[in-house]
Parts: sequence; C-alpha cells; structure tokens
Amino acid sequence: MQLSDATSSPGTGLTLLKLHNVVKNFGGVAAVGGLSTEVRAGSVHGLIGPNGAGKTTVINLITGIFHPDSGNIQFDGNAVQNLLPAQIAAIGISRTYQNVRLFKGMTVLEQVLTGCYLRRGVSLWASFLGLPKARARWAETRAHAMHLLQRVGMADRADELAETLSYGEQRRVEIARALGADPKLLLLDEPTAGMNSVEASVIGRLAHELRDSGLTILMVEHNMGLVTEFCDTCTVMNFGRLLAEGTPAACLKNPDVEEAYFGRKSDAERIKSVS
Amino acid sequence: MEKVLDLWAAYGSTVVFAMVNAFFALSTYAVLSVGVLSFATVVFAAIGGFLAAQMVAHFQTPLFVAFPLAAIAGGLAAAVLAAAFLKLESHWMALASLALVLITKVVALNAPLLTGGVNGLIVPAKASPLELAVLLGLATLIFYRLYHSWFGLISLAVREDPAVASTMGIPPRRIQFIAFVISGIVGGVGGAALAFTLQFISPETYFIGIAFSMIAGTVLGGSFHWLGPVVGAVVFTALPTTVQAFVPQIEDVAKGVVLLLIMVFLPRGLIDPRAMRLRKANQKTTPQPVAGKDAVV
Repeated sequence: MQLSDATSSPGTGLTLLKLHNVVKNFGGVAAVGGLSTEVRAGSVHGLIGPNGAGKTTVINLITGIFHPDSGNIQFDGNAVQNLLPAQIAAIGISRTYQNVRLFKGMTVLEQVLTGCYLRRGVSLWASFLGLPKARARWAETRAHAMHLLQRVGMADRADELAETLSYGEQRRVEIARALGADPKLLLLDEPTAGMNSVEASVIGRLAHELRDSGLTILMVEHNMGLVTEFCDTCTVMNFGRLLAEGTPAACLKNPDVEEAYFGRKSDAERIKSVS
Repeated sequence: MEKVLDLWAAYGSTVVFAMVNAFFALSTYAVLSVGVLSFATVVFAAIGGFLAAQMVAHFQTPLFVAFPLAAIAGGLAAAVLAAAFLKLESHWMALASLALVLITKVVALNAPLLTGGVNGLIVPAKASPLELAVLLGLATLIFYRLYHSWFGLISLAVREDPAVASTMGIPPRRIQFIAFVISGIVGGVGGAALAFTLQFISPETYFIGIAFSMIAGTVLGGSFHWLGPVVGAVVFTALPTTVQAFVPQIEDVAKGVVLLLIMVFLPRGLIDPRAMRLRKANQKTTPQPVAGKDAVV
C-alpha cells in the first residue's frame, strides 16, 4: 500500500487531503491567496502562522462553510470544494471550533450523541416510532458516545450540562463530539487556546493516540512548543500564502518563518541602535 | 355530581378554549424548536378551519374525516411555504410570515364563496370536549415521541447552532422543513377545532388573536419541551377567567403582567429542561445535609 516516495514522515504516506491553488477573497482582502499544501494519511499535521494568516479560513474552506473562489480541494482523491458542510461531514471530515461551540442546554452525553448522528444507523421515522431496532441502535450509539467520552476522559461527567464545565473540559467534549461521526480527518482549530501547558499536552497526547488508532489530524495551533512536540509535519502560512512546509523543526528554522513571527533581523538591529 | 356540573358550566368553555389554544401553541412550538419564529400557524389554521367548515356544510363530512382533511391541507400549505421562505434569515422569516397573515385575511375577505367573506360562515357541527381532548392527546403524544427521538436531539442542535449542526452531517434546512410541515398539520387541526368550537367563523377569527395567544402560550410555557406549549396555553387561557373571579377590574392587565413577569424571570418559560438540569447540578455540588448535623446552620 505504501507509496515509494514516502519519506521518513509517519503515516501511510498516501495523501489524504490536498489543497491546490486555493483562493478565497472577502471583498478586496485575500484571506487565502493561492495556497497549495497536502496532509498525509495517518499524520498529525500542524497548520501554523501568525494571527490573520488565514488558518481558520482554510479550515472553513475544507469543511464547506465557505467555497473557494478558485483552486480545488481533494479529499481521498475526490474534489470536495463544492460540497455542502453536511456532505463534507458525511465523507469523513469533522472539526472543532476556535471558540468552543457546544449546544446550549445539552448534557455532555447529548452533545456527543448529536455528533454520532451520521452513524445512527436508523431512520428518523423508525426512531420516532420507537421500533425495537431503533431502540437497539440507540443503545449502541449511546454506548459508542460513552466510549468516546471515556477516550477524552469525560465519561464521569456525561450527565452534566456541558455549559457548566470548565473551558478545557468543554474542548475535550467538543473533540469527542467531532469523533462521533467516525471521521477520517479531524480538524482541530486551536484546540489548546486558553489552556495551561499541562492541559495542552493532554490534548497533544490525545492527538497522538487518535493518530495511532488510524485518524489523520490537521490542527491549527499557536503553541509552538506543542507543534514541535506533537506534530509530525506542518504547513506555515502568512498573509494567506504558504511560507514553509515540512517537519516542525525544519519549518521553525526557516528564515521566512522566523521573520513572520519575530520580525526582520535588520529591523531588530536598527531598533537596538536607536535605543 | 351537581358540583361538578356547576364547575363545568362555569369553566367548561375555558377548558375547551385552552385545548384549542394548545394546538396553536404546539404548532408554533414545532417550528420554534428548530429555531424558526413563524406566525404562519394562523394561515394554516385558517386553511384547516375553512376547509373543515365547508366540507361539513356542503358534504356533511363527519368530523373524523374533516379533521384529517384539515391536517393534510395545513401540512401541504406548510410544505409550500417552507420551500419558499425557509431560505430567509430568522427575523425576515418572522416578518414574512406576519405579512402572510395579513394577506390571508385580505384573501379570505375577498373569497366569499370559500370563506363566507365579511358575513362569515356558520359551521353546522360541534366537536365535543372529549373529541378535542383525544385529538390534543394524540398531538401531544406525537410531540412527546419527537422530543425523545433522534429528531428531538438534532432539532435542538439546529436551533442552537445550525452551522455547527451542519458540520456534523445534520441538514438544517431539511429538519426545518419537516418541522414546518408538522407545524402546518397541527395548525390545520387547531383551525378546524376552533371552527367546530365557535360554530361560526369569519376571516376575523383567524387573525391577530390567534397569533397573540399562540406566541403567549409558547413564551409562557416554554418552547424547549413538548409539555411547555400545552401548559402555556392552559395558563394563558385560564388566567383571565381565574383572575376575574377575584379582582374583576384587572383581567386584561393581568395577562400582560404575567407575560412580562415570565419573560423577565423565566425567559425560557415555565417548563425548561435546561433549568431543571442546572438545578439538579446545583443540588449535587452543594453538600447534602448529613444526619446529625441538622443543628448546624
């Protein structure tokens, strides 16, 4: 199965997600200006870049919230840039949000059950009638949801109202919800924002566990320590364009990346001389 | 026994109108529970009501046929409306449905052949309170089942955040469409129930009055649980009569005051599963009084 050109990077080496020349403009602003990059199956891939680089826009383009003005997005070999969000979810891409977006009024378990909608295995009609088959499938789905909650360490909070949990806990529930549909690709949009380093590394380890069980993960991340420690490969963006690609260590050494994050060396020296 | 009959004589009509209003409140709840505020229930009621009345008047249709016909007509009208209007943003949807109510009245006034026009229509049949109770029971059972099935769960998701719901494979528009059709069916039945209760209907019957009582019912009772609209309709209908018995002067004020109080203190209505869960959570976190420690405050 392995492609011959597979380098030392983890995963099967097959490209799961491929963006080619993707352009998205909002009015006159080019949020994404011709981005091409790819994510290999079975890897944890970081999408990094300074604020306003267009990272979340890329996530929104992949999940069908926006459609690219031009360029194409391939998932598992199929063009997906014109599909609706619900169709994108059905082919195996799910996501979390930069600002946690759980449903108000639902318990932790209900959130995850909602995420399991695609694998419910029963029609809405049968579920309405309460047919024995529907009941059995419901029990099965419920068990699956509990299993996912166990995976993120939230099983003992299953019956609590999700909005009463702490921010970090809500993020974990959101990940469990995203896993509900048995995705192939999981997009995490800043999964550790607002977390301390201990909580953040819990998320990092969870990402590794999920990868090891066959999932591919694309995560937008600001925490460089986390990226170098947990991402296998990464894409660095700035002003909607590709800046660097490769292993995190190589990316961070790239002078363009340093400049995007820390400013120009010559500028720094000039400031030093002024002060 | 006589006492019971006296009570029924005094409050029987209140009970009947409470049941009729419960249909309208349930119809509103059906769409509210997927995040759509719509006044179109009034239109569905008018369609159901006039159709049922005409069927009985011209073809001597028995009630057990007239009600299903009203339901089908309401559901079909709702399907057409949903296809046309669901693409609108929520507040525009509300306004469009309100405009539709106004249009319906004008159309009804100018179609005397169908509606009796300004003179109205005499309805030569009456639904007994028992029949209404059975129908309402059936409607409530349907909403109970919806609430406890997949549809109820994903309805809440679509209501709270349709964009997020769609990234989980839930098609928000389709769910809203289904909810609209249910709203039309229940609204149509409600319209027929009103016709068979009043026994005289005119375009005025299906107008702002219904819009007011259906919104008030769902606001009072709550739109997050199937029991909410039923309780809301009962309270809203019974309140004026009850208050009148004690303080006759403030009947009209009382309605408004109670609505305001509920909106301020119970914005999600009397029946609110979320509030119940919060209360349960609070009980869990506050330490339970242990035996032998009662003396310590």
